[in-house]
Amino acid sequence: MSDTARNRNTWTHGTSRRAVLGGAAAAAAGFALAGCGSDDDGGDEPKGRKKGEKITLTFWSWVPGIDKPVALWNSKNPEVRVKVEKVSAVDGAQYAKMHAAIKAGNPPDLGQIEYPVVPSFLIDNGLLDLTKYGVADHKDKFIGWQWQQSVFGKAVYAVPQASGPMGLFIRQDLFEKWGIEPPTTWDEYEAAATAIRKKGAWIETFSATNGNRFAGLAWQAGARWFGTEGDTWTVSIDDEPTRKVADYWYGLVRRKLIKTIPDRQNAWYKDVQTGDMASWLGASWGDALLVGNAPKTAGKWRVVPMPQWKKGDAAYANWGGSTTAVFAKTKYPKDALAFAIWLNTDPESIKLLIENGYGTPGAKQGYTTSQLDVHKDFFGGQEYSKVFDEASKGVDTSWKWGPATDTLYQRLGDAFTAAIGNGSDFRSVLKKVQSQTITDLKEKGLQVKAG
Amino acid sequence: MWAGLSNYAHALEDDRFTAGFGRVLLFGAVQIPVMIAFATALALLLDAASARWVGFFRTAFFLPYGVPGVIASILWGFLYVPGISPLVEMAHSVGWNVDFLGRGAVLWSIANIVTWQFTGYNMLVLIAQLKAVPGELYEAARIDGASAWQVARHIKLPLIRPALVLTTVFSLIGTLQLFAEPKVLKPLSNSIDSGYTPNLAAYNEAFTSNNQHIAAAEAVLLALVACVLSFGFLRLVGQRGKDGESG
Repeated sequence: MSDTARNRNTWTHGTSRRAVLGGAAAAAAGFALAGCGSDDDGGDEPKGRKKGEKITLTFWSWVPGIDKPVALWNSKNPEVRVKVEKVSAVDGAQYAKMHAAIKAGNPPDLGQIEYPVVPSFLIDNGLLDLTKYGVADHKDKFIGWQWQQSVFGKAVYAVPQASGPMGLFIRQDLFEKWGIEPPTTWDEYEAAATAIRKKGAWIETFSATNGNRFAGLAWQAGARWFGTEGDTWTVSIDDEPTRKVADYWYGLVRRKLIKTIPDRQNAWYKDVQTGDMASWLGASWGDALLVGNAPKTAGKWRVVPMPQWKKGDAAYANWGGSTTAVFAKTKYPKDALAFAIWLNTDPESIKLLIENGYGTPGAKQGYTTSQLDVHKDFFGGQEYSKVFDEASKGVDTSWKWGPATDTLYQRLGDAFTAAIGNGSDFRSVLKKVQSQTITDLKEKGLQVKAG
Repeated sequence: MWAGLSNYAHALEDDRFTAGFGRVLLFGAVQIPVMIAFATALALLLDAASARWVGFFRTAFFLPYGVPGVIASILWGFLYVPGISPLVEMAHSVGWNVDFLGRGAVLWSIANIVTWQFTGYNMLVLIAQLKAVPGELYEAARIDGASAWQVARHIKLPLIRPALVLTTVFSLIGTLQLFAEPKVLKPLSNSIDSGYTPNLAAYNEAFTSNNQHIAAAEAVLLALVACVLSFGFLRLVGQRGKDGESG
């Protein structure tokens, strides 16, 4: 019975969408319009749960320990059971699976989706616009820029969970031994890199395939890779701030002041363990990563703010972080949203999430910064989360991700791989990726122009 | 929507994809002869009258084939990563500053994994064919005073020719389909891009960029090339075989 009902619902849902939006191209272009998303879902809204009806919502996530807050929810809400299905997060496999499920018409009710990837789900109409279900009432509970990451036009497509404000992890003991001050500007960073190199170690690596961090670096410098003008996407990867960043890192690579090995892989972990790499430009979730992979360096690390372009500035960026999104096909949008809000704002839930190291909460309240200092001893007693908390306040809120971030990372990775291989400068990378991205978006049926 | 051949045109215009083809062809031109020569040598050695411990060595040589490609790549990956690998350490201690995962070397590091994996398998196919050689031929050769080398050269090699052709064709197809090794080594190396081999390019189009149509076109092109090369090779050796018989 319920199966038939579901099928019928699915079918009408699909048809009305197509009728309204008239083909894939229009659908793809349409979401960038202000107020889009209010035009679909016409008269076929899911009926939702009847009073007293017991339902089960599926939730795809890969976050370790997410089952703990979910278990808490289930004990408090016997009628709306949430079932976590773990998905692989290797190489974006989880998103491939979600996109495939949307195409096949059987996505889960809820999903864990990282900020940069949210827009890609608007192209296949995979996510539910939550404004109709009163999501706006909860806006003030979340940190502004994180909320904005899921806002397109007037529509809100996801509930913020956590972010990764960036900071510089340094080996305090080595810096002290070598008489090097922790860098506060990028000029000082370069000087530190030179000094550390003279001691036979390295300050860092520039990983060709880490497009995510490179985006963070550009973000800090004031770049805005993507934007929308009406229903047209603007792409400006080859803009002045990004060029400045590219030139800077190219200089470090060319003068061999920095390694070029991939990060967060065996060789990198080894360098972190041995002190061959004396710092890491990471993000707030990096504490758990260092603790887990270099336990013997406990007590030797500190966190300092990300170096600035101009002394005294407080411009920061974000690397990582994700949302809880509700998929468009859910039969119980109200309950799904209620769970998403509870998961990310309830103090008890946040506490459980923090204990498992999920990053800096997207919620404004319900926790204290000291609660985030889970690994205080590892950082020699430093209240390191204050550094990230400050950084979070200095994140440029106008940054927007484009609709094909995974492809963008791949393009950047390929171009940086080639540039590092043949020694060409990083401006050539930006030029190439800019034109490739415009082509990529056009092929998705979107209206694009160079910004 | 009917796209005609535009997806194929798009795939062929992508220099990353075509470079991947060039790469696997170069790989095949070097790795297949080396591996087949190696497999033939091992098969002949194990088939020689003076061979000892044949069962043990046959199993030992064949064993790597039992290791799945992904696992083999992970194992070798550890042996390639500087700072962890004893091989790299040894090389450095004798002054050889090698980077197995670097731009120039990584293709041959992959070739090494593939050779390690498949030499034993090919050897086994060749041994099977050698076992089918009638004993009278050897007897006659011995009576004629042929040395072990002459027996190998003039009796065994010509008679296992069909098996050699078969293993070469299989290797050719396998080479074009290279996927697991570069996929597993990619995160470890700064020199493998997303289109390193045609299969990897198709995979990334489908599952990273969500472009199933381009991916499908790339897969079809790959199948076409594999088809042309395999049948081309068969034709080539078939022709030569006939020439040999008539001459």
